[in-house]
Amino acid sequence: MNRILRLAAFLLGSCALPGIMLAQTAHWTIGMSQCNLGEPWRVQMNADIRKAAEAHPDLRVIYKDAQNDNLRQVAHVEELVRAGANLIIISPKEAAPLTKPVADVYHKGIPVIVLDRRVLGDQYTCFIGADNRKIGRAAGRWIAKLLGGKGKLVELKGLMTSTPGQDRNAGFREGIAGSHIEVIFEADMKWLEPNARKEMESALARFPAIDLVYGHNDPAAHGAYLAAKAAGRESAMKFIGIDGLPQEGQMYVRQGILAASFEYPTGGREAIETALAILHGTPAPKEITLPSRVYTKANIDAGGELLTE
Amino acid sequence: MILPPFLRSATARALLSLLLVVGVGVIFNADGAFYSWDTHRDMLRQVSVIGILACGMTVVIIAGGIDLSVGSLLGLCAVLFSLFTIHGGWHPATAAAVTLAAGTACGALSGGLIARFRIQPFVATLAMMVFARGLAKLVSEGQKVSTAVQQADGTYQYVAVPPVFDLLGARIAGGNFAVVTLVLVVCLILCGVFLSRVRWGRHMYALGGNEEAARYAGIPVRATTVMAYALCGGLCAVAGICQAAQELQGDPEAGSTYELSAIAMVVIGGTSLRGGTGTIGLTALGILIIGYLEKILSINAVGEETRLLLTGIIIVAAVLFQKGGQGS
Repeated sequence: MNRILRLAAFLLGSCALPGIMLAQTAHWTIGMSQCNLGEPWRVQMNADIRKAAEAHPDLRVIYKDAQNDNLRQVAHVEELVRAGANLIIISPKEAAPLTKPVADVYHKGIPVIVLDRRVLGDQYTCFIGADNRKIGRAAGRWIAKLLGGKGKLVELKGLMTSTPGQDRNAGFREGIAGSHIEVIFEADMKWLEPNARKEMESALARFPAIDLVYGHNDPAAHGAYLAAKAAGRESAMKFIGIDGLPQEGQMYVRQGILAASFEYPTGGREAIETALAILHGTPAPKEITLPSRVYTKANIDAGGELLTE
Repeated sequence: MILPPFLRSATARALLSLLLVVGVGVIFNADGAFYSWDTHRDMLRQVSVIGILACGMTVVIIAGGIDLSVGSLLGLCAVLFSLFTIHGGWHPATAAAVTLAAGTACGALSGGLIARFRIQPFVATLAMMVFARGLAKLVSEGQKVSTAVQQADGTYQYVAVPPVFDLLGARIAGGNFAVVTLVLVVCLILCGVFLSRVRWGRHMYALGGNEEAARYAGIPVRATTVMAYALCGGLCAVAGICQAAQELQGDPEAGSTYELSAIAMVVIGGTSLRGGTGTIGLTALGILIIGYLEKILSINAVGEETRLLLTGIIIVAAVLFQKGGQGS
């Protein structure tokens, strides 16, 4: 009995200790549930959150990575609530499985910011995200203008069972509608550069004239560039990508590999800004659509150009 | 299934499978694209990296094992080589040597777990698969190791691609042959010589055929097991270096599911998963079968769902065809 009591006291003490220490340093605790840190773009999202949070010493952020697993992410949300988070930021893997856990947290009175991907319904505090369809449309219009309204184009699509892939495709088709641009070859490269390179080699083998390659992400456009370069045809065509990460798309634009990269903003900074506003009692809008930028060789040193519709 | 006499050897059956696949390419030639040498050269480049993995996999499977960690080890070695050369500015020979040593050590560790602690190869290499992927993400901090080098203040500085990347990513013989394909051919020849002419290589067959009998015959079973996995790990490092050179970066996610393609290449060639039989020549044919299959589906721009369905069906058909010849 005595031993059990001592154990209980130890456990209680060890639970309380970090709490006491925290109380002195951080005023607010934010839980950040990330769905998959296997993607560079999501690593960048966490980095943006970390950078924004560092400017506020009264904030402490707890990070969780669900490693692309819905059920693990559900557990992470519960863990964050138990850890005493004052606010939760979640970038859900999928809408359906995470809708109820998010709603439960919301009903407990803990504000929830949903980042990038949506949940169903409206049982959350604020959604922050960019619009893939809009970016795809902007890319389509930009390309139509660049090519003077006509040309032969290869589209290297992201995973077409994922909504970003579907939206970047549908928006793009809307953007080029009415022009004489013809998509002569399209393939699903599942977001992976080696696949994009393989598919591009096939396109090159089949078509002697290609004017432009539209990749649903920057690695796809880069893989296509490498394939064209190996065939000695890279100067005969232009390459366009999406995402615009500093170490990927922006670098390729700077090196002259991509003619343009369309930014898909992570929203990490905006999430922390909104979180602070909510924690200080300012009501947040239900939905924040992030503006996107286009990076070209001409504007990259100036930080890109804001897309307007 | 009764097969005519000329199909009694596994090599003849694998050759016929290859001919059938090439025949499909001739029919669905995508407006003549299949008749261009460029298409075949590109196909050979595409299969090279996984083909190198399949070489190591053949040795392990002949020795009665399986190695699920090859894709992760490729990713780890691609990251290491990129870190050493792009970020570290090391001499390529030093970088390659250290990367090779790392791959071999990981393979030897799997082999050691299997030989010393009698952990099943599936389990030991599954653990290594997860561990190596974690290590790749750890050393790369989850980002691709590219020519954009992050500075202390969070901005990026862009450095040039090391010459060794251009060398490995280049083509020879008037642009008709990729350097990585040459690397694959060298790996195939070396593994072939090892398995057929070197005593340690012959031990692999004895070990895979019957471990007890091999032990009674005086074959150092533990050392042979460790050697099989170490050799496979070393080849993963070669493949990782080739992958990094072609992508101009070290991607910590590189090579996921490559282990399945490598196993498919070995099995379609006709090497049995039961161990003790098979040759590198069969694997070479398996590499070509998978390579042509992918290429033909790709030049015809076949949709993803149809590709997966067809690939599954053709793998089963090829393996059934190989099985049909056994015991006759």
